[in-house]
Amino acid sequence: MEEFITLSHGAGGRQTADLIGNIFKKYFANKDFTPDDAAVLNLDSRKIAFSTDGFIVSPWKFPGGNIGKLSICGTVNDLACMGARPQYLTCAMVIEEGFPIADLLCIVEAMAKTAAEAGVNIVAGDTKVAGKGQVDGIFITTTGVGRVLDNANTSGAFAQVGDAVIVTGDVGRHGCTILLERNEFGIEADVTSDCAPLNKTVEALFAETGNIHVIRDATRGGVGTVLYEICEQSQVGIKLNGEAIPVADAVRGVCGMLGMEPLYLACEGRLVIFAPQSEVQPILQVLHSMPYSQGAAVIGEVTDNVGKVVVEHSFGGKTILPQPTGELLPRIC
Amino acid sequence: MNRAVEILRNYAGRKLRIMEVCGTHTHEIFRLGIRSLLSENIELVSGPGCPVCVTPPGFIDSAVTLATEHNAIIATFGDLIRVPGSTQSLASVRKHNALINAVYSPLDALDIARNNPDKEVVFLAVGFETTTPSACIAVKKAKEENLKNFSILTANKTMPQAYKALQCSADAFLYPGHVHAIIGTQLCEELTGCGVSGVVAGFTAEALVKAISMIVELSADGKPFFANAYTSIVKREGNIAAQKLVADMMEPCDCVWRGLGEIKGSGMQLKAEFAQFDAVKKFSLQPNDGKVNPACRCGEVLRGICKPCDCPLFGKVCDPLNPVGACMVSGEGACSAFYQYAR
Amino acid sequence: MCVGLSAKVVAINKDMALVDASGARREVSAELLDDLEPGDYVMVHAGVAIAKITADEAGEEA
Repeated sequence: MEEFITLSHGAGGRQTADLIGNIFKKYFANKDFTPDDAAVLNLDSRKIAFSTDGFIVSPWKFPGGNIGKLSICGTVNDLACMGARPQYLTCAMVIEEGFPIADLLCIVEAMAKTAAEAGVNIVAGDTKVAGKGQVDGIFITTTGVGRVLDNANTSGAFAQVGDAVIVTGDVGRHGCTILLERNEFGIEADVTSDCAPLNKTVEALFAETGNIHVIRDATRGGVGTVLYEICEQSQVGIKLNGEAIPVADAVRGVCGMLGMEPLYLACEGRLVIFAPQSEVQPILQVLHSMPYSQGAAVIGEVTDNVGKVVVEHSFGGKTILPQPTGELLPRIC
Repeated sequence: MNRAVEILRNYAGRKLRIMEVCGTHTHEIFRLGIRSLLSENIELVSGPGCPVCVTPPGFIDSAVTLATEHNAIIATFGDLIRVPGSTQSLASVRKHNALINAVYSPLDALDIARNNPDKEVVFLAVGFETTTPSACIAVKKAKEENLKNFSILTANKTMPQAYKALQCSADAFLYPGHVHAIIGTQLCEELTGCGVSGVVAGFTAEALVKAISMIVELSADGKPFFANAYTSIVKREGNIAAQKLVADMMEPCDCVWRGLGEIKGSGMQLKAEFAQFDAVKKFSLQPNDGKVNPACRCGEVLRGICKPCDCPLFGKVCDPLNPVGACMVSGEGACSAFYQYAR
Repeated sequence: MCVGLSAKVVAINKDMALVDASGARREVSAELLDDLEPGDYVMVHAGVAIAKITADEAGEEA
């Protein structure tokens, strides 16, 4: 274990997993502690999903959303990934002294609008104000609960050899948007965050079929991180078709300039779905009919090559997808 | 493309050892899985063309000194941030509030200097012929603007002497496309006279496969050869404006390469008339080579003598999260690429 | 050693060029290339255009 917390511990990759494993899991261990997006609990013989998520993002607004919208989508999507219909959210805010009320209004409006779209109510909250400089503007934590749909039974541990791996749209847009908004590299591009509530998408999927093994939303660490998480949880491998991974042109351009891999950039409105091949066509049909998943595509399949994500290119080249490690730094030389 | 792939798959001639000199080639060859296409008789070894990997720990020590003792803002290409110095890296001092900025271009470091007139800003100028002109442009602009708080710490290197030093490490070189876009290809033609063979390659799957298949075909008659498989970018005369700019502003110096030791005349430093922009002179830094973990075999990896997995530290105490040697730090480094893709 | 990206020149402003690589735009130095014009394609490294290329080649080289 390292001596200090570094940015890498929050980047979603190997070090985040180590931090959770070596500290949180060790001390909080209980039978319901979950590596999935939300815990599925039996409450009076009803299955509910329960989850929480903290949000810090700098800058707090960006093309396609702001921290308020993000804080609703994040928890709603975590619940949806367990096949639940999100119902109630709570919200805790830590606001920096001097934060403009007008900005707070803008954030809260976005939260209300997104909650309404997702069909959830924000039913309780907490507010703390921290002294100037103690937080960066505003931090939001949301916690949510919802009932698991009757025919849903998903987990990161349920991927099976032969399953198709589907991503619900082009990857890396949120991470790319934030990178551009920080304007550290003088690059401009028309990229909008993919931030969106996906619970209606998931409900539509389960209305079509219950035969879905894994749903995971790709957030920090991107789709690449999700693939490795599922490999580990399900003890399987994954084979990716290098040319099938959807990436927006501008995201590809930005990544090209900075030497970055879109698969490791964060998404906030993308699901990675594992399901039997027989379900692929109906699933794609549903996804293509819903607003946030029109670019859904099959990107690969599950193999028995445990722990390995292999990328195959159409010209014959075949290689391991490197595990995302640490904070993303532009690679120039 | 298909024909070239078949050549690589079916080659059954004498064993060929090809060194990709450029770190970006190393990275792309791994990323695209080019090695999976090669017959057993073709071996690709990774050379010293990752500027991060060949930068000695003493250079990092100097940058750390600038950040911690002179309170300078360090502007650097991202991959240098995690490179271990003798005892510390820029990442480790950043945790304790040193100002370390990743930049895309030396020109961005100028912006940082303009925006922070009360701070010293030092750009870490690493890189080969491709990158050196960008540092020169930054210094030239700083001089024109009379920007007093900007300087560069140079570790720029040049390839010609390195090719000669590495001559025995491989049967042929995959020459770095963008280096030769700047310096041209006359050098490569001359090197055939010393028995050195190679092909200049681009960076896409198609370009790499084509260049390696050309090496295989040209090797058949056993004579030294040179070919340019990246004609879209690389001209025989190179980029004359870039050559002139660098020649006007910089001069060759002896230079230590991590793992290879000192190679005479293989470094570049600012000429005396630009001394005010040379961080070593401006801050009276004491250059030193720094300390390397004696068990680290990065040097032999760089010379193609051993593979990353032959090093006793590889994957045990040295991995991409906790790199000991520089080859593990950069995504382009042979050890990092080997760790992530080939294990 | 040299991550390069091909991009299209959108505008020239003295010794700088605004370039576009599949929608990602950035100012780069045009100092090393003579007579650059909007519409030209270039190879960019570390914020500097280092070589002119044709439109066809720009499609292939990364």
